[in-house]
Amino acid sequence: MAERSATYVWSMRVIYLGLCGLVIFVHLLPLEPVSRFWVAPDLMIAVTFAWVLRRPDYAPLVLIAGVFLLADFLFHRPPGLWAALVLIGSQTLRAKAPDLRDLTFPMEWLSVATTLIAITIGYRIILTLLLVDTPPLSLSLIQVLTTLVAYPLVVLASQTIFRVRKIAPGELDAMRNI
Amino acid sequence: MAKDRAQDNDYVGQLRKLLLAVLVLCLLAVFLVWRIDSPRVERFRAQVIDRVVPNFDWAMAPVTGAVNILRDFQSYQRIYQQNQELRRELQQMKSWREAALQLEQENARLLDLNNVQLDPRLTFVTGVVLADSGSPFRQSVLINVGARDGIVDGWAAMDGLGLVGRISGVGENTARVVLLTDSSSRIPVTVQPSGHQALVAGENSGAPLLSFLEDDDGVRPGDRVMTSGDGGVFPAGLLVGQVTEDVGGRLRVRLSADYERLEFLRVLRNWPQEQIVDPGSIVDPDLPAEEVPGEATEQGLEEDVSESSEAAEEPVADTEPADG
Repeated sequence: MAERSATYVWSMRVIYLGLCGLVIFVHLLPLEPVSRFWVAPDLMIAVTFAWVLRRPDYAPLVLIAGVFLLADFLFHRPPGLWAALVLIGSQTLRAKAPDLRDLTFPMEWLSVATTLIAITIGYRIILTLLLVDTPPLSLSLIQVLTTLVAYPLVVLASQTIFRVRKIAPGELDAMRNI
Repeated sequence: MAKDRAQDNDYVGQLRKLLLAVLVLCLLAVFLVWRIDSPRVERFRAQVIDRVVPNFDWAMAPVTGAVNILRDFQSYQRIYQQNQELRRELQQMKSWREAALQLEQENARLLDLNNVQLDPRLTFVTGVVLADSGSPFRQSVLINVGARDGIVDGWAAMDGLGLVGRISGVGENTARVVLLTDSSSRIPVTVQPSGHQALVAGENSGAPLLSFLEDDDGVRPGDRVMTSGDGGVFPAGLLVGQVTEDVGGRLRVRLSADYERLEFLRVLRNWPQEQIVDPGSIVDPDLPAEEVPGEATEQGLEEDVSESSEAAEEPVADTEPADG
């Protein structure tokens, strides 16, 4: 039983990796090279937050850090900063997860929104302090909004397709895996 | 049990916090290194991209193609709007096509004017059409060559393809060309391949009448009409047009020259042909009496040539009431 659950957890980690890889791949597709008025949602962050809130063992720290560092490198972002902030944000959400588990989805959505906005603001502040060029504020805001709009859909897809559901009280043992 | 788990969680939580701190510090360190020594990290980034992105390459081309196909497919949904757009574009394209055709024809005409190979004596002067008659009852155009260029009354004017008219009135720098469609124009022609002789008589319409035809039976619509050179008015063998039949059953000539766009006309230098005046000196070494009528007939012909328009008109004027 434990063996099976361990392989299951590892397969879910692979799926998480695959999802993030798919998002990176889609972003890299040369479909719309011209800049647009609106920005597509950051699905990687939505998936990460949704999975961390439900099954943190499917999205362990090292995996999140590695994936987002890779994304930083590939998307020509300042490497490391966004990954560190996402890591901090995801772990604060994870710390809140036991409280949120009993609450309704809108509360979860709200806390995700506050976390996302907080790390976005922190990102911009740090970049500004270190005199790094920041992306336009309007585009950042639009991306935050679209990500938040997409978040319920990501949650729905995670729950239906990948069966990433909130941990029932009896399943807490699975959380021992980091 | 619960306490055990709590302790367990606490231990795991501590470990996780430590791991989190290490990871965050590492990431921030990467960021700071990037901020301090940007070129080196950027090189590293280039290496990472170089390593990772080509792995996606096998999938990128087909996925991009598939997405584009999907977009094309989506565009079928608004096929009506697309149809309207295409119609509009087609309209614009038609005008462009028309322009292209005009340019092509003009080009062909100019090339033809340059490369024409007629009788070497039939050199020509090319003129540009300056104006038309300005009256609906006179079919003539003004060209920008005149007496200065050696233009003489009665010469033939052609566009690249067919006969247009004859010079009638020469100024110093301009000359008037009376078109074949003018009601005073009469041109002796031969209908090929039957070889019938006829007159092309303009009547202010697009297609002049073919009158004075010896025998209607031998002439069919589609036959070619060439100048015959009779009377010395024009050189022989210039293309005039094709025979057509109008609603009333009368034979007309559809002119080969493009009367809609008369732009460049060439005026054929048509010097009077050598006449054989000597009837032959075989019969008698001295025939002074016979030379005189020969001269007289030649002079009569010359007169015909010089005032050929009147000469050509007169018989028609006589016969036209009878014809009608």
